[in-house]
Parts: sequence; structure tokens; C-alpha cells
Amino acid sequence: MSVDRGDDRSRLLVGGAVLVAALLVIAYLAAGGASYEPSQVQDPCKPREWRNPQDLQAIAEQFSLSALDGAACQLHVSRETLARALTTQERRDRFAARYGIGDAELEAAVRAGVQRAIDDAERAGAISPILAVPLREAARRLPVDEAIQLIQDARPIFENAQGFLGGVFGLLDQANGLIPGGVRPLLP
Amino acid sequence: MGLVLADSSVVVLALPDIYRELGTSVSGVTWVLVAFNLVLALAAVPASMLARRAGPGRAAAVGLAVFAGASLACGLSDQLGTLILARCIQAAGGAVAVTAALELLPAVVGNERRAATAWAAAGATGAALGPGVGGALTELVSWQSIFLLQVPLAIAAGVPLLGIAREERRTGTIERELRFTGRPHVAANIALALVSAAIAAALFLVVLLLIEGWRLSPIAAAAVVSVVPLAALAGSRLAPHVPSARARAAAGAILVGGGLAALGLLPKALVVLILPPQLLVGAGLSLVLSALTETALAGRSPQAIHGGWTLSARHAGVVIGLLALTPVFTADLREQRRNAIDAGTAVVLDSPAPALLKIDLAQRISERLDQERGKVPVIGPAFEPLPQDPQERSQVVALRDDLQDQLDRAATHAFSASFLIGALLGLLSLIPISLARRVDL
Repeated sequence: MSVDRGDDRSRLLVGGAVLVAALLVIAYLAAGGASYEPSQVQDPCKPREWRNPQDLQAIAEQFSLSALDGAACQLHVSRETLARALTTQERRDRFAARYGIGDAELEAAVRAGVQRAIDDAERAGAISPILAVPLREAARRLPVDEAIQLIQDARPIFENAQGFLGGVFGLLDQANGLIPGGVRPLLP
Repeated sequence: MGLVLADSSVVVLALPDIYRELGTSVSGVTWVLVAFNLVLALAAVPASMLARRAGPGRAAAVGLAVFAGASLACGLSDQLGTLILARCIQAAGGAVAVTAALELLPAVVGNERRAATAWAAAGATGAALGPGVGGALTELVSWQSIFLLQVPLAIAAGVPLLGIAREERRTGTIERELRFTGRPHVAANIALALVSAAIAAALFLVVLLLIEGWRLSPIAAAAVVSVVPLAALAGSRLAPHVPSARARAAAGAILVGGGLAALGLLPKALVVLILPPQLLVGAGLSLVLSALTETALAGRSPQAIHGGWTLSARHAGVVIGLLALTPVFTADLREQRRNAIDAGTAVVLDSPAPALLKIDLAQRISERLDQERGKVPVIGPAFEPLPQDPQERSQVVALRDDLQDQLDRAATHAFSASFLIGALLGLLSLIPISLARRVDL
């Protein structure tokens, strides 16, 4: 009799342990325990949707982000990694050493990034097709040193963005020379 | 005995302080824990033989004296190498004292069975209490105080033994011949090793998650892990009502495995979510460690030798757990930190905040990352002072919260694989536990 009671208690103890452990694990799984991890960053080679830009500054900012995407895609790194790498000279050197990227490769990537930004801006309707043509031409004729300077002048992460903005304005200025009356009237 | 066995886990909460103060790495400082457990595992059986040859009273007194001296050396260490060496000597002295105590206990508690139960309970209690006590001492005094406090405690425990040692010498009742009347209980000892590896994961990794991942202070972490000894106490109250050691061991292993699995599946970086899994681990460890130790000692003689085997199995398990899981979680922590920083950068880049504000924030965040290279950064200070403009202020607060969420996710997720491996080890102990009945229970 006491053995039976002992067996019952044993079964109860083991059964209770299984039940409590299973309930806790199921509750944590149901609450999202299996997917609680940092968000994945987007592939820079995939097109990124532009928010509706309201003014030139907003256009320029999204333009610089697109340029970052394009350059990162070319270099096979994430946009975020490239943006951080451009914050300071020390970070840039570490980045170049880590990924084995030379100056020429970086220049080509920056040019590709600017071209991608023009394409994206045109696709998003942020700049008109009429403006896109001279902008592409200006980007192609933009001296390599200037294209590189868009990155090299950048110290903190968004000073780099400012650098890109400077680049955009430079392109716009060049386009002003190509288009009588300037480009601003052509913006949406 | 509880003092020595608490020592295997007492430094867990002090490890972050030790590695900062002695300028080492997480992997390096893990050896403060590993070395103690490794020497205890290797020395336990020879120490038990020594205790039998020299007489348990004398052996326990000498063991405690060595333990006290080495504890003093640990407390005075200012280099990692010295600290690890002192920890090794501390473990050797502790092994002699603990195994000799098993020989002395029957005279105190009445018989060998009760002695085995008390010995097992002291071991489980020591393991459960260690992290909380160590964390409180680290925060309130210093990590050195953990070791320095052990000196008077060990001396106080050793003084009554001097009388027994003198009596042993006077009566000449020293057993100089080793008689083995039973081989070690293989299944119970293997199960002990597996479940101890799982428990080491639970105690060690929870502390690291709380302090290094979620940036709690040692005393706050000690308060959180104090749930474990409370649950262990509850588990030990349950044990006398279930006569089957196999059922207690199985239930304990399931609770430890389930608790660790839940820790591996935390759905948010909230301290309150750590508590239920720890309740399971605490109750489980008291049930399983006591039941397996009793099983390993039941009907076996000499008790000290078999106690040595259980001690060896337990601490070998701890070493295996620490050595197997430390590289897994340090690699995961590095990877998750990178992922969090990428995700955080994306949050800033895509934020609707004005460009100039983002530039300023990005610069400050980059500085924080550089300051805390290799660790999960505290990102809050990068956002101080908050802008006066209400719209900018709300944008900055939203950015800060998003970034902190990414870092919390990374820190928590970095420990998931290790907790789940720990859960697997705990559940694997069910195999030898189920075999134990058929073998010789």
C-alpha cells in the first residue's frame, strides 16, 4: 500500500515537472521567444522605397542614402557597415583593411552609388526625367577626386551624408550650367 | 562542506568585476571558475583516499587550513595568474575537507544514510546559495571580500575538528587500509556530471546575461538569482515526500532542462521573465543533485571514496559545461553585437528626424561604441541631453528606445544557444537516470 502511494507520488512528481516545464516553454514560445533577436538589415542591392520628399533637403538626404546603398552593394557590405565606416578616418582605415578594399574599388563604388541614387530618385518621382539626364551626365563627368571626397570629407556618420549632400548640390550646380534657368524649377 | 561547494559558484557574480579590475577577458576570467572546479574534480577521489588513510578528523582540519590559507591568497591577488593558482590550492584543500566530512558525518547525524542525505543537501544548498552571496558581497564590499570572508569561516569550521584529530591520534583508530566494497555508481555519476554541466550553464550564464547583457549591478543580479536558493529550499521540502530517488532525479532533471530551455527562449529583455525559469532550475537542482548523490552513495562503502566520486563527477560536469558553453556564448555575443549595431544604424539612417540631428546623434553613438568596444554598449548617455523642442525630443526618445531595443534583443539572443545546449545536457541526464534503475537500484 505504501509502495503504491510512493509510486503515485513519484508519477505525480515527474508528471508535474513535465507539465510545468512544458507550459513555461510553450508560454515563452507563444510570446515570441523564438524570434526575439535584432532586426535584419536590408540587402543594399535591393531597391529601397523612398519616403515622399517635401523639399530639396529631404530629396538630398534620401539621395545620399541611396548612394550609400549603391556603394555598399558594389562593395558587398551592408549600407549600415559602410555608413559607420565613413564616420572617421580611423574607422575608414579599419573598414578598408578588414574588407581588403583599395582606393580604386572605393572610387568605383562611390560612382556606382551616385548613379544608383539618381536612378532611385527618378523612379521615386523625386526628380524629373528631364533633370535625371543631365544629372547622370554630371555624375559621369564628376572628377573622381570629388566623388571620393564625398566620403573622405565625412567624419561623423551624417557628416558623410552632408558630404553627399554637398555632392548633390555640386551636381545640381553643374546641371545648372547645362540647363538654362537652373534645375530648381525642374524639381517636383 | 557547504562553504567549499558554495565556492564553486560564489565567484560567478564577481567575475565581471574581476575581469575589469585584473584587465583580462571573459574567456580568461572563466578560468577563475574552471580552475577551482577542475582541481576539485581531479582531486576529489585521491583526497578521499587521503582522508581515509590520515583519519577524517585530521584530514578535514588540514584541508580546511589549506582552504583558509588559499582563500586569503585569493583575496590578496592582484593578478589573474596568482588568483587562478590560489583557486587551485583552495580546491585541493576543499576536496580533502569535503570528502573527510562525509566520513565524520555518520557520528554526528546517526547513520550513513542520514549522513549521505545531509552531505548531498549541503552540496545542493551551497551551489544554489553561492551566486547570490557572492553578488551581494561584490556590490557591498568588493570581490576580494568573498575570499577574505571565507578565512574566518573555514577556521571556525576547523577548530572543532582539532579535538577529533587529537582523539584519532590518541586512540590510533586511523584506517590505514583501503577497502573497496563496491564500484562507483556509474549511471548516477554520469547523470550528476550532465546535470551539473546544465546547472553551471544556468548559474553562470544568467549572471553574465544580467550583468554584461542587461547591465544590472551585481547586487541587483544577486537579488534576481536569489530565487534559485529559495526554489531549492522548496524543492528540498518536497523530497522527503517522494521516496523514489529515481523519480526525484528525473523530475529535477526535467525542471532544470525546462528552466534552461525557457531561458533560451526569453521573449523580451525583462528581469521578471528570468524568474520563472530560475524557479524551475532551483527546485530542479535541489531534487536532482540530492537524489543522484544519495543514489551514488546508497549501500556503498567506504562513503568517503564514493563521495569523492560524486564530487568528481559533479565538478567535472561543471568544467565541461563552462568550457563547452563559454566559446559558444562569447562568439554569439560578438555576432549579435554586430547585428544590433547594424540594426541600430539602420534605425538612425531611416529615422524621419532632421538630418542635422541624426548627424549629431550618430557621432555620439559612434563615440559610445568606440568607448565600449567588444561589449554590449549602454546607449542611453549618447542621447543626453534631450532636445528642448518637443517634436525633436519625441523623435530622439523614439530613436533611443528603438536602439536600446535592438541592443537588448542582441544581448538576450546571444545567450539563447548556450541556454538551449544547457537544457539539452540537463535532459540527457535522463538517460543514465532511467538506466540506473535497471543497473543496480
